[in-house]
Amino acid sequence: MEFSGIFWGVIGWMIFWGVTGSIVSRRVYLHKDLDTSNTGLVGSMLGAATGPVGLAFLWMKTPEITTRMMLFPSLATVAVFMLTFSISDPGNLCVTNGSFVASQISNGLIIGIIYGFMALGLTLIFSILGVVSFAHGEFYMIGGMITYFFTTVWFPELGPIVGILAACISTFILGAVFERVFLTPMYTGKVDRPVEYGILITFGLAFTLQYFIQATVGANPVKAKRFFDFPKVRLPSAEDPWLIKTSRGNMELFDTISISNPRFTAAVMCILVFLALMYFLRRTWTGKALRAVSLDRDAAAIAGINPNKMNMLAFALGSMIAALAGAMLVQAFSWLPQVGAIPAMRSFVIVVLGGLGSIPGAFLGGVIVGLVEAAGTGCIPNAQKAASYIPAYGMIVLTLTLLLRPTGLLGRKYASGTHGKV
Amino acid sequence: MTELIVKKLNKRFGGLHVLKDVSFEIKGAELVGLIGPNGAGKTTLTNVLDGAIQPNSGTVYLNHHRIDQMQPFEVAKVGLGRTFQVTRSFRRMTVLENLYVPAQALGTKLSKAEIHDKSMEVLEFLTMDHLRNEYAQALSGGQQKLLELGRLLMLNPEVIILDEPFAGVHPKLMKIIYKYIERVNQSGSAIILISHQMDSIFSLCNRLLVLNYGDLIADGPPDDVKNDPHVIEAYLGIDEEEAE
Amino acid sequence: MNKTHAPNIAGVVLIAFFMAFPFVYTADDYPYIMHILITGFFYAILTASWTMLAGYAGQFSFGHMGFMAVGAYTTALFSHYIYLTPEPTNFCTEFAFGDGYLIVLDPIGVTSSTLKQDCLRQAMEVWGDGVAVTPMPVWLGITLGTLMGGIFGFLIGTLVLPLRAAYLALFTLGFSEILRAAISAEIAVTRGQAGIELPALFQDGVTLFGKHFDKTDKLPPYFIMFFLLLFCLGLLGLLAKSKFGLFVRALREDQDAAAALGVNTTRYKVMVFVITSMIAAGAGATMAHYVGIISPNNLVILQMSLIVAMAVIGGVENIVAAAVGAILLEFLLEMLRNSFQIGPVEIDMTVWRLVFFGVLLMLTLRFSPKGLLVPTIDYFLRGHIGKETVAKRGQNKPDDEPGSEAVN
Repeated sequence: MEFSGIFWGVIGWMIFWGVTGSIVSRRVYLHKDLDTSNTGLVGSMLGAATGPVGLAFLWMKTPEITTRMMLFPSLATVAVFMLTFSISDPGNLCVTNGSFVASQISNGLIIGIIYGFMALGLTLIFSILGVVSFAHGEFYMIGGMITYFFTTVWFPELGPIVGILAACISTFILGAVFERVFLTPMYTGKVDRPVEYGILITFGLAFTLQYFIQATVGANPVKAKRFFDFPKVRLPSAEDPWLIKTSRGNMELFDTISISNPRFTAAVMCILVFLALMYFLRRTWTGKALRAVSLDRDAAAIAGINPNKMNMLAFALGSMIAALAGAMLVQAFSWLPQVGAIPAMRSFVIVVLGGLGSIPGAFLGGVIVGLVEAAGTGCIPNAQKAASYIPAYGMIVLTLTLLLRPTGLLGRKYASGTHGKV
Repeated sequence: MTELIVKKLNKRFGGLHVLKDVSFEIKGAELVGLIGPNGAGKTTLTNVLDGAIQPNSGTVYLNHHRIDQMQPFEVAKVGLGRTFQVTRSFRRMTVLENLYVPAQALGTKLSKAEIHDKSMEVLEFLTMDHLRNEYAQALSGGQQKLLELGRLLMLNPEVIILDEPFAGVHPKLMKIIYKYIERVNQSGSAIILISHQMDSIFSLCNRLLVLNYGDLIADGPPDDVKNDPHVIEAYLGIDEEEAE
Repeated sequence: MNKTHAPNIAGVVLIAFFMAFPFVYTADDYPYIMHILITGFFYAILTASWTMLAGYAGQFSFGHMGFMAVGAYTTALFSHYIYLTPEPTNFCTEFAFGDGYLIVLDPIGVTSSTLKQDCLRQAMEVWGDGVAVTPMPVWLGITLGTLMGGIFGFLIGTLVLPLRAAYLALFTLGFSEILRAAISAEIAVTRGQAGIELPALFQDGVTLFGKHFDKTDKLPPYFIMFFLLLFCLGLLGLLAKSKFGLFVRALREDQDAAAALGVNTTRYKVMVFVITSMIAAGAGATMAHYVGIISPNNLVILQMSLIVAMAVIGGVENIVAAAVGAILLEFLLEMLRNSFQIGPVEIDMTVWRLVFFGVLLMLTLRFSPKGLLVPTIDYFLRGHIGKETVAKRGQNKPDDEPGSEAVN
């Protein structure tokens, strides 16, 4: 970085005014008898983006806080941050090379969709059972492993769909059985602290599954072969391939954006399954019953829905979604028994960012985290450092979310209940 | 002498104005009933007095200490105790330990043995001394309610706010609670009693406060309040059968 | 004899056993067994302090290994970058300190082993042999590490104040992960994945009772770790029995009710974080000096899982049970390392033992949520209470008897 002094100076300034804004704005609003639920977010973002000027305006006028008032300062803060970065490091690829940026953004978007899809499973489990499944990453890993064995080792002739289906079915069953055996005491008041019990027991499951796979498969990384090859396409023409150009493993758009085949197919598949899932949740009786249970368990039970069955279904379905994400990505990454840890944590970040229990929030959160990670890995000058910090990017997002807006972007205001801020 | 002075208390939740200029004074060992329809602001008033919620404006003085800006634990130490609408015993602590918490938190010079003796005395009064080493979660709902009342005694409060102490309580236990209220009152502390059971309120209290959508619409002896046209309109008129 | 004394007697016997063990045991694998026990004590300290945090205070934090690492890295960096010399180097950042100089090395990381870039080594070449460079004492590093753990505990404790249950678990996990990422990434300072080396607890050996022990001898670290464990258990036990223990349990059960009864919940919540993280950091710093190297791998989730599993299996609401459970399980885990063969299949126990461990954790949680040791202790300490209740109930008049409804 050429002018790191400028960069850290501005960051320090932003942090100072952000912290001041979040604390003082709350006081000001409280003093004026106004709603203070989002003042922390607005104050900090406005402070970070505009410094004392915007804050003075906010404190003098104390306008009612609307969604816009949260959105624009947040975007402005991101813009100021990016501007500072580009000024202080003018030689960076992220500043000079437009196609690199476009490529990073589109790859961030695509991987973000997959992340969001995986987090969707977690949010589904949470909204029905009130449990944050710490075994989510292990289901992801197992989904990938099963798909790998089906498509690459045992039945390479059968095609990827069979492998993916096998992964889905077996994790669905595993999730259902686990829920029946280990999670049922939570609802009957048999355990003293159900939430903590849920955390610990899924933690135990994660531990067991991870080492079970390591014991049976081994600790060496495996790699599944690509599910299918792109047809060779040159549009508009072979001589002038500026719109779209594909090779077997890669796709190039506008001559600049390069997307790898496995990620692309995974994202498309995730979107398709997501649509199917939305149809299931909105249009079928079982789906509606699931949503009813997530809104009000007791009322749903009175209406003739067996909430225990819905618990089982939700846990199995949520775990299956994680496995499906793994099954799609096993062709993109090399696979290890430990591979689930980082996606699991990423999913936690996404659901907290999007709002625990919110399905659109999970997708939005996924895309944001995908973009942040793409920016983090692409733009930090020292590539080795950038790679080492990958787990931290999401966690920084998580920390900021919990401090500034614990309900998440689209969270229901009281969805957190006993689990979060009261 | 106990003196609780509430002056022009206001509390808003967003657009909702839950307490509107509520003012009243309680002097000495009064037994005050606080009534009002659901959503009248009774629980909010309790939370504000207790320090769990800070009011937007107004002041509360308890024995010349300003308590409206204090944290709940400071308020408790000044001498205001409260129970919760839903019983909240420390479920996985023994009955005795439940009583030790407020006694220790008070930070008085009492030795452990003295605290123990006092706890045993309270338990005997509540006819629960045989349960002293049981975990609170093993107790029945009514017993947990008694335990919560017992905890308050350990705090030596000047003012006690009882939020629905009679809800879902067996008549036998009701007698003990009556005895409890009598005891607290005789020791010189004031009691604010929140209840929907009109017969209990009218037989126990010598003064009633009536809240209606944040307004304190009546303050006086039960008979006056009963005949107050505002109260009848706002409250008694609606669920008359229940009140009679 | 009253059976409520049984757990105390068992405790005394256990202490006596561990005191005598290094002198009695003489088999060939002596260093190995001693190493296992030292590690077991280390885990016992972490587990016991986590039990205070999670079991007593109800703060299910997954950042305990992070605090451990804070302690370990503080002392590692301290001993690695700071020296005392009688003369100025004129190369390093240095401050006059008494009649000597406090030298702060430049963090040039792994490359500093290529001696040329190391300012202190350059100075030493200039000085020749005449000037003695004193490294910082180990105990000072451990103390600093412990204090640093307390500072981090205070920060994290303050930040998590409004968070409960799942959010708290996620946040603390996040803290641990950020720390791990930062340590791995800042190679210049921490040497990243390679890990940073530390001097041994007694770099020049130590003479105890007229016998000299080399720096690789296991006996001195054994007793240091053992006494540290006893000290921590004593401290935690004292805290648990005192007002502090009472209040943190009350705040675990119902924060609002505790506050309404005069308990300063904020203060005790932060305090429990500070105390337990200081213990974790102290143990981490001591262990790092014993092992001689600390790397970010000590922060992976597996390590945290071990602590959680040990606490749950021992008994998450009893400090001593958790500690004993930790020692037993560590021993068991090490003993199960031996692979064996069933027919043609070789069973790699290094991994399978962890599978069994996980299954044991899940089964314990499901079927004996108080852990495997606590029910035994409870049998001795609380076994008479049910009988007592029933007996006392008989004495009361059944008429005004609220207990007659149900005592389960």
